[in-house]
Amino acid sequence: MVTLATLRDGDNLSFTRLQELLELTPGNLLTHLRKLEDAGYVTTVKSGSGVNARTSVSLSPVGRKALDNYTAVLRQLLDSASSNGTSPH
Amino acid sequence: MLENQDMSVQEAAAVVRDAHARARRELVICAPLVYAAWGLVWLLGYGAMWVSVRGQHPYIGPSGASIATVLGLAALAVAAVVVIISKTVAGIDGQSVRYRSIILRTYSTGYLILICVQVAIKSSVSTRTFAFAAFAAPLLLAGLTYVLASALGRNRATFALGAWLVIVAAICAWQAPATILATCALAGGGAFLLTAVIETGLHAHAS
Repeated sequence: MVTLATLRDGDNLSFTRLQELLELTPGNLLTHLRKLEDAGYVTTVKSGSGVNARTSVSLSPVGRKALDNYTAVLRQLLDSASSNGTSPH
Repeated sequence: MLENQDMSVQEAAAVVRDAHARARRELVICAPLVYAAWGLVWLLGYGAMWVSVRGQHPYIGPSGASIATVLGLAALAVAAVVVIISKTVAGIDGQSVRYRSIILRTYSTGYLILICVQVAIKSSVSTRTFAFAAFAAPLLLAGLTYVLASALGRNRATFALGAWLVIVAAICAWQAPATILATCALAGGGAFLLTAVIETGLHAHAS
């Protein structure tokens, strides 16, 4: 999701490039994407056929918001832990 | 999202930070390199032309060697920029691809028109007017293209560069040919290089 969040709004990334970037097997990536798609965080679109077939993946607005919230919560926990001088778990 | 319940907040934050930095490195066009490439073309290429016309009385124009230097540097910059962009955007589709296409078509059409205008006016206007059309107008076109690119990509640094180039090119309208070349080299090329430095700082901050 972090990788897809780097793209600009309205952009999508091919399944092949995403797989290269994350160094995952196609099956493994597919499993992750299915879970994220079921949660409404990513959208996958298949286009073309045969050798021109392309699967593109993009982060949905819900996914972007969820990631923003998640990173904000992480930051808050780290900030409060550093101000208290404790190790966050 | 955090599947491993045993992962500490610090570890989770580090995973997100590393993934973000890696994704930026791989998927975001390295703007500082692009600006630096064009900055060197303007600074060294136009600088070479300025050196070649500096002592001319009367002004006859840049030497063939200095023009060849500009063309050679521009060809190298185009090749470098094409490699940087095509490697980074491989697999990316959507709005940014359309935006890049608009920017490229705008610039290439503008440049083609500019060449036609230069050919048409060459024998009928003063040396000073032709020097503006030949040396400062490309900077004006580059500036306007950056302003357009900033509007599409919502980038303040690009807008500042574009606006500055337009101002520099406009100032050239009051200058003599040799001064136009010096102004474009220093104020134009310098602005590209300064933007490269600023963008490097912004990239580092974003990572």
